[in-house]
Amino acid sequence: MSQGEKNMGIDLDDFLEFYLLDSQEQVEKLGSGLLQLERDGENISLVNDLFRSAHSLKGASGTMGFTPIVELTHAAEDLLDKLRQGKMLVTNEIIDVLLAVTDKVKMMLAQVEQRSDISVDYGDLTSQMRTITETGALAQKSKPFAGKNQVEEQEEKPEIDFALSPEETGTVSEAAFTSKSVYWLNVVLEPNTMMKAVRAVMVIQRLELLGNVVKIIPSIDELEVCEALEFNILFVTNESQEDIRADILEVSEIYDAQVTNYALPETDAPEIGLTVQAEEANPVRIEKSVEEPIQMGRSKQANQPAEQNTNVQPQKDINQVHTIRVDTARMDNLINLVGEMVITRTRLVKIGQDLQTENQSDPLVASLNEANVYLGRLMNDLQESVMRLRMVPIGTVFSRYPRLVRDFCRKTGKRIELVIHGEETELDKTVIEMIGDPLTHIIRNSVDHGIEAPEERLTVGKPGVGTITLDAYHEGNHIAIIVSDDGSGLNIDKIYKKALEKGLVSERDGLSESDIANLIFLPGFSTADQVTDISGRGVGMDVVKKAITNLGGIIDIKTSKGIGTSMIIRLPLTLAIIQALLVEVGKETYAVPLSSVVETLLVNKRDIKSVGSLPMVQLRGNTLPLISLKQKFDLPESETINEEVYVVVVGLGDKTVGIIVDELQGQQEVVIKSLGDYLNGLPGIAGATILGDGKVTLILDIGSLLQDILIKR
Amino acid sequence: MAEEQMVTFSLGSEEFGVDIMKVQEIIRIPPVTRVPKARSYIEGVINLRGNVIPIVNLRSRFGMPPGEETDLSRIVVLQIDSKVFGVMVDSVTEVLWLDSEAIEPPPPIALGMDSNYIRGVGKIGERLLILLKLDQLMGGDGVNEQIA
Repeated sequence: MSQGEKNMGIDLDDFLEFYLLDSQEQVEKLGSGLLQLERDGENISLVNDLFRSAHSLKGASGTMGFTPIVELTHAAEDLLDKLRQGKMLVTNEIIDVLLAVTDKVKMMLAQVEQRSDISVDYGDLTSQMRTITETGALAQKSKPFAGKNQVEEQEEKPEIDFALSPEETGTVSEAAFTSKSVYWLNVVLEPNTMMKAVRAVMVIQRLELLGNVVKIIPSIDELEVCEALEFNILFVTNESQEDIRADILEVSEIYDAQVTNYALPETDAPEIGLTVQAEEANPVRIEKSVEEPIQMGRSKQANQPAEQNTNVQPQKDINQVHTIRVDTARMDNLINLVGEMVITRTRLVKIGQDLQTENQSDPLVASLNEANVYLGRLMNDLQESVMRLRMVPIGTVFSRYPRLVRDFCRKTGKRIELVIHGEETELDKTVIEMIGDPLTHIIRNSVDHGIEAPEERLTVGKPGVGTITLDAYHEGNHIAIIVSDDGSGLNIDKIYKKALEKGLVSERDGLSESDIANLIFLPGFSTADQVTDISGRGVGMDVVKKAITNLGGIIDIKTSKGIGTSMIIRLPLTLAIIQALLVEVGKETYAVPLSSVVETLLVNKRDIKSVGSLPMVQLRGNTLPLISLKQKFDLPESETINEEVYVVVVGLGDKTVGIIVDELQGQQEVVIKSLGDYLNGLPGIAGATILGDGKVTLILDIGSLLQDILIKR
Repeated sequence: MAEEQMVTFSLGSEEFGVDIMKVQEIIRIPPVTRVPKARSYIEGVINLRGNVIPIVNLRSRFGMPPGEETDLSRIVVLQIDSKVFGVMVDSVTEVLWLDSEAIEPPPPIALGMDSNYIRGVGKIGERLLILLKLDQLMGGDGVNEQIA
């Protein structure tokens, strides 16, 4: 595509970011679409989607002048075109090649992002695709689903709705009788085209010589004012697709034109199409309502052609402004500011309270406090809205795993189905970014060591295809992510033996099975007899644990021999603003995230018994392990000896532990601040916060305190 | 003639100098929150207009006996590689220009303190100014790996 080489003479850097974002999205779409295509076999609408993704990728890359990406995607587009025209069937080889293309493009985009030249070699891949495109087309000229052509075109339509008037529908239906073809032309203008309407008129003038232009969307008038860089034309003609395309491209400032067959809804037999239309008043509406229910009300009153026309355009515009992309730095800044406001508000509240104790009768103080309450409510709403901004569905992370599992299956001959639930569960962006790698590790483990080979599975009476389930859901103030497989389960005996060998546990400890399973999270623990390139089970599970602990979460493992293994990860929903219980230990104040506080107790010191090195207390028949913050944080014992101490019972999931403190100060909203690079990763400390009086208070890391105790036990 | 601008401060009987470009600001000592399990020379953290920054006790870092906090005590807030931290000093003395030629390499037996932190010694008449190598102050020996 020669237009691709053009340099617009503007600073491309400004657009680079948008280009990268968009392209990466398209590549992702391609990748996941291909995997689905492999599963579905023939799915024309999916192929169409893929084709479109490849096409826009090619278009955008051309505009930016990244020729390698253009050539690669162009070849892929050709291949997809053959698929969508039904000239070829979907095979594993084709999927492989196309997936390889997405990988290459990803690498290229990474190089673009680093502002370096694209040096990825892609020659073989394009020639490979060309071979498939050419030979495949020859070998399978029989058009396997020629009969389904109607289906194909109907599927195509949702992208553009011409909202035809009865007259126009008539013209189109007529074309079918006169053996003319109806085409949908999608004409893309070059970016920065000044007079879009003029270009469109020129295109139409040319087309009028070849056939009959039924409709153009957006209309010429709208085209001049709206931001769209493309328009769609419904065209009836005798000419071939290629000729039409060539003709359009002769108009200057036209970037590209796609010519596709177009069919009316329910026009397999045109007579029926007309009857339906007569009965239903507006067949287009019916089809639309399936696609976009919201549109229904709008379309109902839109029987007049003129109205319909303006009707479609606003809808397009609405779609365009549904989401905006915002630099995360700007968002973080906003969140920081809100955080500062929360701190300032706590100060105001404190001032109000102090004033009240001094001048109880002053009406000004009362109204100050009233205003404070109202401000508090507003702040809560504001905070919630701002935090929402950071929430991203976890599906963005999950989407990379089907590929991982697929590749592995192809490599080893294992047969595994990855079932994903709860993709829409939302999590803080930071958590999303950090959770990917640990999850990958866990899934690899399941794939490599969890699921057995098909023959082995069949001999033990399991289905040959193994299942890995990836699930995410909300659980109170936490989110749970569960990775489970129906494989052989952990080899508890082997883990126990290994742990004894390494001196990590002693035989007297009397560990339960689940305790033993949790040993794999200890650093340097591995039972893998041989390390494969996928993983070695146990290797790096400590890294997984550490990553999750850093996020304030906890990981647990459930396994049963022959039935499978589940990894349960619990993470806090957000990392920025939390409710906390302030506790006093010695002269220091610490904040305990309220989401992990189960209850608080007043315990007589005599009731605290030591079991091994660990203090414990009986609570409703269960033993509750205790942590003395004083000992943990090397604080001096206080001089006044109290008979009773406060115990804050904290828990994540079904694990609980009591923290011994001197005083409870109350509950407060705190903004979590990082301790910075220098002090990160201190045991038991999750971060810091600034209280109303301006003092820094440290926030306890319940996850790490819990894991500490669990390992000690 | 190359000259460097320095912020100088005192610690015990010694006078030190740091590159002024690395100094973000100089503040009085606010309440410091101790950080348990951190390295001994970390005095704690403070609130610097909404940001939590760590404070290094320079006396402890340089192996000097602990001193009293006085009215003159200050925190010099430094910014190195976009990381911000503060150092506690006995007093900030002045801002001065120093001739590059007046800077000598650190003596082999470095004034009783680790020569890793010393860039050189500046001479101003009779005064000796110990010029600090700041990037070694916080990192260097791996603050993050200290917890086994």
